[in-house]
Amino acid sequence: MNWLPSFLNPWTAALTAAVAVPALLALYFLKLRRQEMEVSSTLLWKKAIQDLQVNAPFQRLRRNLLLLLQLLLLLLLLAALARPVLHGNHSAGRLNVILMDRSASMNTRDIEGLTRLDEARKLARQLVDAMEAGASAMVIAFDDTPQTLQAYTSDKLRLKRAIDSIEGTDRLTRLADALRVAESQSTFFYPEEKRPSQEPPRIHLFSDGRIGDAADLSLRRAQMLYSPIGSSAAPNLAVAALSARRSYERPTEVQVFARFANYGPAPVEDVGVLLSVDGQGQRVDQKMLLLPERWSAQQRQDWEKQSGRTARSAVEFKLELVAGAVLKVEHMSKGADALAADDAAQIVVPPPRSLSVLLVSSGNYYLQRALESMQLKNPQTLSPSAFEQQFADPARLAGRYDVIIFDRHQPKALPGAGNFVYFGCLPPHLNIKAATGPDGQRLLARDVGVLDYQREHPLVRHLNLQRLYIGQMLRLELPTPANATSATDTQVVVEGTAGPLVVLHREARAVHLVVSFDLLQSNWPLRQSFPAFMHNAMVYLALGADMELRQSFPPGATPVIPRSSLQQAGDPRELRLAGPVQHTVAVPAGGDVALPALSQVGLYQTQPPVPQFEKIAINLLDENESNILPMATPPGQAAQAASGGGASGKIRQELWWWVLACLAVPLCLMEWWIYARRVHL
Amino acid sequence: MAEPNTQPNTLLSSEFMARLDQLDLLSRKILAGKLKGERRSKRRGQSVEFADYRNYVVGDDLRFIDWNIYARLDRLFLKLFLEEEDLALYLLVDMSRSCDYGQPHKAHYIKQVAAALGYIGLVNYNRVSISAFADGAVVDSGAMRSRRRVAQMIDFLADLRPSGQANLAEACRRFALAHRGKGVCVVLSDFFDKGGYENGLRYVAGGNYDLFAVQTLSPQEIDPPLQGDLKLKDLEDADTAEVSITAPLLKKYKANLNAYCLALKEYLTRRGGTYLFTSTAVPFDTLVLNYLRERGLLG
Repeated sequence: MNWLPSFLNPWTAALTAAVAVPALLALYFLKLRRQEMEVSSTLLWKKAIQDLQVNAPFQRLRRNLLLLLQLLLLLLLLAALARPVLHGNHSAGRLNVILMDRSASMNTRDIEGLTRLDEARKLARQLVDAMEAGASAMVIAFDDTPQTLQAYTSDKLRLKRAIDSIEGTDRLTRLADALRVAESQSTFFYPEEKRPSQEPPRIHLFSDGRIGDAADLSLRRAQMLYSPIGSSAAPNLAVAALSARRSYERPTEVQVFARFANYGPAPVEDVGVLLSVDGQGQRVDQKMLLLPERWSAQQRQDWEKQSGRTARSAVEFKLELVAGAVLKVEHMSKGADALAADDAAQIVVPPPRSLSVLLVSSGNYYLQRALESMQLKNPQTLSPSAFEQQFADPARLAGRYDVIIFDRHQPKALPGAGNFVYFGCLPPHLNIKAATGPDGQRLLARDVGVLDYQREHPLVRHLNLQRLYIGQMLRLELPTPANATSATDTQVVVEGTAGPLVVLHREARAVHLVVSFDLLQSNWPLRQSFPAFMHNAMVYLALGADMELRQSFPPGATPVIPRSSLQQAGDPRELRLAGPVQHTVAVPAGGDVALPALSQVGLYQTQPPVPQFEKIAINLLDENESNILPMATPPGQAAQAASGGGASGKIRQELWWWVLACLAVPLCLMEWWIYARRVHL
Repeated sequence: MAEPNTQPNTLLSSEFMARLDQLDLLSRKILAGKLKGERRSKRRGQSVEFADYRNYVVGDDLRFIDWNIYARLDRLFLKLFLEEEDLALYLLVDMSRSCDYGQPHKAHYIKQVAAALGYIGLVNYNRVSISAFADGAVVDSGAMRSRRRVAQMIDFLADLRPSGQANLAEACRRFALAHRGKGVCVVLSDFFDKGGYENGLRYVAGGNYDLFAVQTLSPQEIDPPLQGDLKLKDLEDADTAEVSITAPLLKKYKANLNAYCLALKEYLTRRGGTYLFTSTAVPFDTLVLNYLRERGLLG
């Protein structure tokens, strides 16, 4: 900050001074019209006047004290008129984009009891104050998504209002989208040929620099000026990871694993952990020793060697949970913490339940082995003839099994609800069909490989399917809106070189997972991905999801509730979400329901309760947000843009409020006091 | 300034004059008179009170030879008796414009005091002489004696009108030249003289006169009821002073007035005079019947 102010309107002030100062002097020297009063003698009065004048200190100055004060006041007003400014790190250009980081790390309370977002708001308001007349700015708040709060305007009041309206979230930080919005808005509203000046728009980034996608940033037609916010000395302990799972062997036993991290500057010892089960806290007497994450491995080793202690940042414990519960893990060192959102993490543990699976197959060693390996409650295998005989009436099947797997057998009839898996066959009477040739024969494809698959889909997440080879597969005819007979939802999970290999199809109240090839006609059973896929399929299709405990979501997530879960909840027309933020969601007639973005960490509950989504835990669990060490350099390639642009990077803070408030007003009061006291004659 | 009521009958009421009949002038000095009076003189003369003996010399009045002594001693001695003379009362009255001020009116008050003192002097067969000074000039009433001159004295006082500057120095000088005899001199004034009261009072302080100075000020001069930004105009010389009345200024004015009065008192005391301060707010009869008696002018 350059403490020597400069002036924005020096000529206006000079012209006003040329008129006002002589006018004040002329007014001052005009005689006061005094009331004439006769006295017997002025002898004593003159003597009193002389005595007062002689005894008064600084009498020469005092004689014109009021004039001097008035002149000083006038000069201050003129200085205010000249708009003095202090130059800081940024300066407002003609076109400005104010990018305000409102992510979780900005809630760090490390600036004299205020959050980083408060500081960012203050700096942004100063920037708006420093804007010249005619300069425009827009306000974008961003976390993992950008939000334009105020389009380009010269109205400082609206800009400040938009800045003040920004509230912090617990979401992650992604800047790339915000930059894209800023650039596109700038280009749209002010094409280069219409810009008031040739300089590119200035993007003022008010952030702590903890940007998740810093590596992906690029700026083409703008210049970024970065104001790092936050203190590097702020302490923060965070839950870095939390997972829990039930044992296959003992479903009532839950294993919980939590890892903590210290993002502060100094080691923190004796960190206690509090584990709460449904809000009932119980202290876990595990004293952890957390070394700063910012330390290098060498520093850690040196410290441990010096102190003779070993850092320990993870806790693991087992619980007996015969019913569902919400587990909450939090650290007890609240004093050494500037960010609250990552102090605790929660996980929802549903009641233990094992799957009931029926395999309809004429014999498939691999499938049987895969199901056995899952240690399901009641794995049952029927031959196709036995199945048809036993369940000639589909109503008898309803609700009896969680998942029914058909291996190369097309059932004659199926109940309206349920979860079904097909290998090398297709369900009857559905909108998804096997493609047939002109002769009515099913079309087959041979020598098929995997073209692509949805790596994030729960069915194939973490699987490597690239080397899957299929000797022969059915060609599928997927439903389109034109030929669908009812509300359907079809999703190709794995796409082969000759057509869909794995399709997830929902129709009516049933979910069908169609694998379009015979396992025995592929190398899949011999690959590691097969048992994992089977496990995922069981988890996904039925409540078997409970084999793994329910995942928690990051802040800002929009969990999708599948139709099957909604059907189990009785197809409600409306869902209410109770938690840190209340939401009400209208449920459409068909398809899955995406919940609104859950921006605050905590536990949300659906009402009415939707199976598998009765309770939804939102945890920060993000190293980038929990690491509150502010970045001194601008993020990513934007840094190059800023330095490459050669911008001097100044922020101007207008001083006139301070001039008036701090100097002129007391001066005015002093002048009043002197006049009231009549010290001057 | 409102014209004060200066009718003769308003200066002294008959009831008040009756009370004044009980009083007489006193002087700490035994001063030589000019005429036979009722006051003991330093001189030897004709009275009933024996004073001393002396040797007879040729030419002495044979009526005062003490024949009893001659019979015993065969020598002639003359009996001496104390002489009784009158007392001269000089009233020096300030009739400058500065006395045309105040409520009660300062000049009227001075006239009343002068009338009372003059009345006491006349009824006790003293010679009363009133000199009013204003603008450097002195108007003298001439010597008056006996009760019959009371009306003349009051008329003289009633006809006085405040005018011009005081110029105490010139007035006292002229007074001293005109009245070489001894007597009680009472100066009634506000003593607001820009030339300084010392220059005037030195002619009458000490020496022939038993001096009394009665400083008469109005309440408006003692505690000025002024406020605001004022242009004060001197009644005598039209001099002006621009003031903004403030608490410190008023405080300073009062302190200066007090110091001024004290200095006058000290000046007179050192020269054998008597200082008396009065406000026109003090009832006139209280001043005469109490204050002047306490200070030894009346008895």
